[in-house]
Amino acid sequence: MTNETDQATAAPQAPRPRRAAHGAHSRQAQMSAQLSQSLPVLEVDNIPQQTGTPVITFDHVTKVYPAQPNRPALADISLQIYAGEFIFLVGHSGSGKSTFIRMLIREIKPTQGHIYVAGEDLSAMRNWRVPYLRRNIGCVFQDFKLLPNKTVFENVAFALEVIGKSRHVIKTQVPEVLRLVGLQDKLNKMPDQLSGGEQQRVSIARAIVNRPPLLVCDEPTGNLDPQTSRGIMDLLERINRTGTTVLVATHDREMVDNMRRRVIALDRGQLTRDQDRGVYGFDV
Amino acid sequence: MSSLFYFLRESLTGFARHLSTALGSIITIFLSLLIIGIFLVGGRMVENIISSVESEVSITAYVADEASQEDIDSVMNWLSSQEGVATVGFTTKEQALENFQSTSSDIVDALDGSNPLPASIDVELSDPQLVEQVANELVANSDYQKICDTEGNPSEDVRYGEKSVERLFSLTNYVRYIGVALIVLLIFIAMVFINNTIRLAILARRKEIAIMRLVGASNGFIRGPFLMEGALHAIIGSLLAVGSLELLRNFALPQVQGALAFLPFDLSLGAFLYVYIILIVAGLLIGLIGSALAMRRYLKV
Repeated sequence: MTNETDQATAAPQAPRPRRAAHGAHSRQAQMSAQLSQSLPVLEVDNIPQQTGTPVITFDHVTKVYPAQPNRPALADISLQIYAGEFIFLVGHSGSGKSTFIRMLIREIKPTQGHIYVAGEDLSAMRNWRVPYLRRNIGCVFQDFKLLPNKTVFENVAFALEVIGKSRHVIKTQVPEVLRLVGLQDKLNKMPDQLSGGEQQRVSIARAIVNRPPLLVCDEPTGNLDPQTSRGIMDLLERINRTGTTVLVATHDREMVDNMRRRVIALDRGQLTRDQDRGVYGFDV
Repeated sequence: MSSLFYFLRESLTGFARHLSTALGSIITIFLSLLIIGIFLVGGRMVENIISSVESEVSITAYVADEASQEDIDSVMNWLSSQEGVATVGFTTKEQALENFQSTSSDIVDALDGSNPLPASIDVELSDPQLVEQVANELVANSDYQKICDTEGNPSEDVRYGEKSVERLFSLTNYVRYIGVALIVLLIFIAMVFINNTIRLAILARRKEIAIMRLVGASNGFIRGPFLMEGALHAIIGSLLAVGSLELLRNFALPQVQGALAFLPFDLSLGAFLYVYIILIVAGLLIGLIGSALAMRRYLKV
């Protein structure tokens, strides 16, 4: 929530970048704002209002890995994410996207600062409660992480099985979620009999089968061709419309530019831009 | 309940997947527990034998034929007042002959009625450790010196288990130390084996574990199958050990007893059951601790 005024004067009728850049990065942010102005404005209906208490709050979060003590992976990041948002996390490799996500699911703890998810401080969270946090966060990765010796159905069912859901719940929810991702005909296929896009759909199905309020995707389309990526993004958008907050880390420029959703840009650990209806905005 | 089934199913798959290593750890546990069991049973037997020997520890003091009844009485009275003496009895020449006759009648028949055996005072001890002390005091006793069979050398006439008893005591102590050291070593080896088997099981299921962690399986749920697998190996191993001991008890023991009839080898079934329970519990502990150690090292949750 920094320099709104100068953004507003620069582009009065453009979608207003609300939480934008810090200090030295304001120029870049301004350029991005102009860029987004020049692009065709897409009507994205019902972008949820950012009201109420945020689901995720990063409060001056810094992460320093012991291997690189002088170069923080994330430096003093503060931001809020509200329920029902669709957010792109963009940045080059090594900009801290994965660190961001790994901290969100508490695979790692921040060196400084606090992360709150649903009002709970992750740094103070006891270890035994972490699984219950993760049940509320669906995760999708670039490499799908499917079990090769299980069928599509079993892969999705596995996620419910290991959190102790009954067989009845598994039998009703798994086919339902596979229909949602469009794989209702491939329940008994093995992962290696599916295309990359289909495998990623299975992985998404597994992430949402427990109906988590938050879906986190780390480069979900990194391995896929543009057309398949488009399909995956459509799916993510559909999931978002059901009320799930979706956070997508990506460096797929076309995707970000087409969808015009909130964009959080990271560059070498710094938060450089946080913009509604944003664009990718990095020069390649 | 359903998760218990899940653990069992998963541990059985792990079992089938690494049959050779699983067999390896089962056999190590089996052999360790078998040896532990043999030591436990053997220890009890030795204790039994010792106590039977101990109960037979007594002093026999031969008395000259011409000794007066008065002197004999005074020696017997003196003995009864000694520490560690349970009973004092007297065996006459005739009784000695009869006793001897019951073991080897041929020789007695050949004696043609003459009786070379001396009468004796028999001392039963309540504390076998005191046997040497009492015997020495008896030898030094002036009344006994008067009536002893070989005049002037009473130590010739006082007979007791002497050194053999002492040696038996020190021997059982040694056996006990060696047994404890061996048992500790074997338990250690068995744990290392279980540890290794569970490590392999964890490595084989790395991917599944990563996904389980990702979708929020609780720590207990992730650990359950591995604990179960360790416990399963241990239980199978200990049942094998119990089975072999039972076979030994039924087939080998009667043979040994037949060959060494003078020592009491037979133990009650209760004693065996006690050992079996110890083995199964020990096996279970080894399995659980071994797999818990493996999980501490290789399964960060």
